[in-house]
This record gives sequence, structure tokens and C-alpha cells, in this order.
Amino acid sequence: MKRRIFLKGSLAAGTVAVAAGAGLLAPARVLAATWPEAAFAAKTEADALRAFFGDAAVVDSDKVSLKAPLQAENGAVVPIKVMTTLTDAEAIAVVVEKNPVPYVTSLQMTVVAGGMFSARIKMGQTSPVNCYVKAGGKLHKASQEIKVSIGGCGG
Amino acid sequence: MKKLFALMAAAGVMVLASTTTQAISEAEIRSDIAAFQGFFLKRFPSLTLEDFVDGVNALPQYAHRRANWELLMEFPPYEPEMEKAEQEWSKAFANGKTFADCALAPANTYPVYDAGSNDLHTLVGDLNACLAANGEKPIKNVKHGKMARLVAHYRAQFNGERMAVDFSAAGAQAWYEKGRQFYWAKRGQLNFSCASCHVQNAGNSIRGDVLSPGLGHTVGFPVYRTKWAVAGKPWGTVHRRYGGCNKQVRASPFKAQGTEYKALEYYEAIMNTGVPLKVPSQRQ
Amino acid sequence: MATTKMKIRKNKAGGHDVMVLAKHPMETGLRKDKKTGEKIPAHFIQTMEFALNGTVVAQANLGAGVSKNPLIGIAIAGASSGDTVSVSWIDNKGEGDSAETVVK
Repeated sequence: MKRRIFLKGSLAAGTVAVAAGAGLLAPARVLAATWPEAAFAAKTEADALRAFFGDAAVVDSDKVSLKAPLQAENGAVVPIKVMTTLTDAEAIAVVVEKNPVPYVTSLQMTVVAGGMFSARIKMGQTSPVNCYVKAGGKLHKASQEIKVSIGGCGG
Repeated sequence: MKKLFALMAAAGVMVLASTTTQAISEAEIRSDIAAFQGFFLKRFPSLTLEDFVDGVNALPQYAHRRANWELLMEFPPYEPEMEKAEQEWSKAFANGKTFADCALAPANTYPVYDAGSNDLHTLVGDLNACLAANGEKPIKNVKHGKMARLVAHYRAQFNGERMAVDFSAAGAQAWYEKGRQFYWAKRGQLNFSCASCHVQNAGNSIRGDVLSPGLGHTVGFPVYRTKWAVAGKPWGTVHRRYGGCNKQVRASPFKAQGTEYKALEYYEAIMNTGVPLKVPSQRQ
Repeated sequence: MATTKMKIRKNKAGGHDVMVLAKHPMETGLRKDKKTGEKIPAHFIQTMEFALNGTVVAQANLGAGVSKNPLIGIAIAGASSGDTVSVSWIDNKGEGDSAETVVK
């Protein structure tokens, strides 16, 4: 099985490199990505996407779905689950438009771990939650608004 | 059904007018249970008795709450704490004994009426009594933390067992009546009774939140709450929650493990006769 | 006592879902200590690496926007009974933890 290899650094640094020559390289670690500092520092969604994915067109996709409550019980712990049927998914990013830091979490993966990414995230207010799956040079998007209210009851 | 319900409410008002607690018979308590449970089974016809232990998360009209809860339950946030609870339960006292040696009633039978002292024994009380009997310091904070974990650990061993609190003694029936009056009495600046929200408005939304049905209450406790977890004290025993609720209607809370909340817990446990335990509960 | 817990379950896609629950405050650095009035410094998990039989298959990147005591889940394909799935994470202070489970 061909293992996809990621260059050290963010995905924006260059294209995905395939093992040359003999075909299969089998280093102990195929992922040596550093924490995407620039994406986490971005103040806007657009800047975060560019920092993490590089320039790639966004397309709506029915091959990406998002399972999340329409209204969060508690904005401090919002469970979400991104699922994709894309077989060449390289990375998934979760962006909460209205958060002070829109880029919340991401997953970079080999073909072995491409189908699902779940997390519990913080949301400061009602906002669209946008999930992008990079595959085939494009960002496949699934989005859902999650309402966040501060409930009045609850002891 | 409406008639029975109105009668119950009227009876509550009537008793409050007198200063002495009217005697209530075992048969009347059984009819109270039937009326109470019947009210909720009719109000939420798609739910079975067992479903009510999940509270708001069982209500079909709040799919988003259930969706949130189901996602969290894929890996319940309380699991690491339950492991800690097991360790705390198993740790020996200085005299070599452990909580397993305590004389505890089955979890689904608490609170237990003791005729000798004319008092109600709660699981919290019995655990502290066991500590004292073994020369250990009783746990001071009975609303969260270690006590809640011990209660959760013990009760979880009885998961699936149906609530079966005994109320055959006359003294027990007096305690029941105290609890019933508390439940139906209006209090606080907002002038609500427990019933105002959890019976009359069960399943309605209020202040961006949903009122859970009284049927199911206390059965799944202790509760692990997201709101409390974020603040660092995730666990709550029943009496912690009672205090919070009383504060919410701007009434002074009563003391945890004091007379009022023990009586209230007794009433609620009896109203939930037959509901199977499901401990602990994950809530918002 | 290990503070990182892992659950592995078969999923509908024929693979396994791997869920990791880590114990971590995930402080944003904006919250103030109620007693001192001082800001509590940022302290959060940054990267979480998943490996199958020692080969890294995914890396999750986290920030302070991820909830306290974070839950991160991924799906892996091609894991067989007896395989080892391991996870290790590092936070912004350079501290970390790891856990591993054998696939049933």
C-alpha cells in the first residue's frame, strides 16, 4: 500500500510528494507536521484556510458531512463529528466563523485515517461551523450553524 | 386524569393550611404514585417508564438535546472520574476494612426509614456513618467530589434495578408527607414549587432551557454536568441539585442532608417507584 | 493513574473509530484567576499523534478552542485484531502523555 508522505511543515509549503524511485518508502513516521501556528494565529477564516491549506478552491461537497447538535447544550463543550467518503482526504480543518480564533482544530492524515474526525470544541456564540476536507487539490466543505445560548436554568 | 391531578394540587394546598402533618396511608401513597406516573406517561406518550431516567434527553421534541447528549455518550466525560471512584471505594481504611464492609442497603431502596430513630437514612448518610464507625473522618462536603463519586460507584452497581423504596411504616408515611408538601409548596421570590416546573410545565422550554419531567428525577444521580465540569466541580449529588434549584427560584437553599431535602428525596424516590437505575447521569 | 484514555470501536465503514479522552485544562490564556485577578497562562494540547503498530497515521492539531479535557476521535482502516493503536500528545509547555490499546 502506498503511503502518502507529508513534508515537514504545513501543507501550504508545497504539494504532496510521492515516494520516488523505488516506489515505497517506509520511514517509521510518515507524518512529521509541526503545529500550524499561523493558522491558529489567523483572525479570519480566509487567513486560517490559506495558512493551513495553501491556495485551494472551496467546493460544497456531499462527500463530507457534519454531525453536530443544532443547538449546543453548553458552548464550552460542543461535540462535533466530521465524516467523509473521500478516499484521498489529506486533512480536515474545523473553523468556527465567529470564534475569536476561528481555526479551532484540524487533522492531518494518511490514507489509513481519513474517514472521520470528531472533537469537542468551544463556541463563544451562535456561529456556522465550517469543516473543510482537502482532497484532490480542493477544499470540500460541509457546514452547519450551531446555536449557542446561555440557558437560564440549571442550578 | 385531570381530576386526580387537580385533587392532588388541592390536597397540597389544604395540608399547607394546617400546622400538623395529616396522616397518609400506604394505599394513598400508592395512588399518588399511580397518579404521578400516569400524568407523565400520558403527557409523553412515546416514552416508557424506563425512558424517563434520561430526563430532557428522552423528550422527542428536543432532538438537538438528545443529539448533543448522544455524541457525548460515545465517550462519556465522567468515565475517568468513575475509575477514580472505583479506586477510592477500594482503598482500605486505617483499620484494614473498606467500603465493601459497610452495612449499606441496596441502592434502589434509599432513602430508608429507620423506625428506631424515626429518621431517614440516605446513602450519603450511611457512607459517612460507616466512615465514622471505622474510625475515619466523615466526608464534610456531601454535594460533590469524593462523596459524589462514592455514591456513583455504589449506585452504579445496581444499574437496572427498579426503584423500590419502602413506605410501610407510619413514621415513614409522615416523612413522605413532609416531602410531598415540600414538592408542591410554592417558594422563593419567583414563587414556584417543584411541581410548577417539573409537573405543570414538564417538557416546556423556559429561559433558553428545557424543564425535565419530575418522573425520572433522582434515579440517575449522581449527575456529571458539563456546566459544573467547566467550573471544576463536575459531580452533584441530589442535594446539591436541590440547593441549586431552590436558588434558581430565589429561595434560600436548605442544608444538604438536612430534614427538608431528605424528605424531598424520599418523596421523589417513591414517586419513581419502578424506574430502573441508570447511574451516573451525563447532563449539560 | 493514566490521564489519557482510549476507546476503540468497530465502525460502520468496516474500520475502527479511535477516541481519545485526555485530561487537560485547555486554558486560553484569557481567563482570570478569581482570587488573584491575574490571567491564567495559556496551556493547551498542541499536537496529538495517532499510530498503528508504531507507524504514525494521523496528527490532530489542537488549540485553546478545543474543550477542556479534550475528546479527539478518528477513524482508521485496516486495523486487525491484535494490532496496537497508540496516541501521544504534547502541549504548549512541552509536557505530554500517551496511551496505547490493542485492537480486540
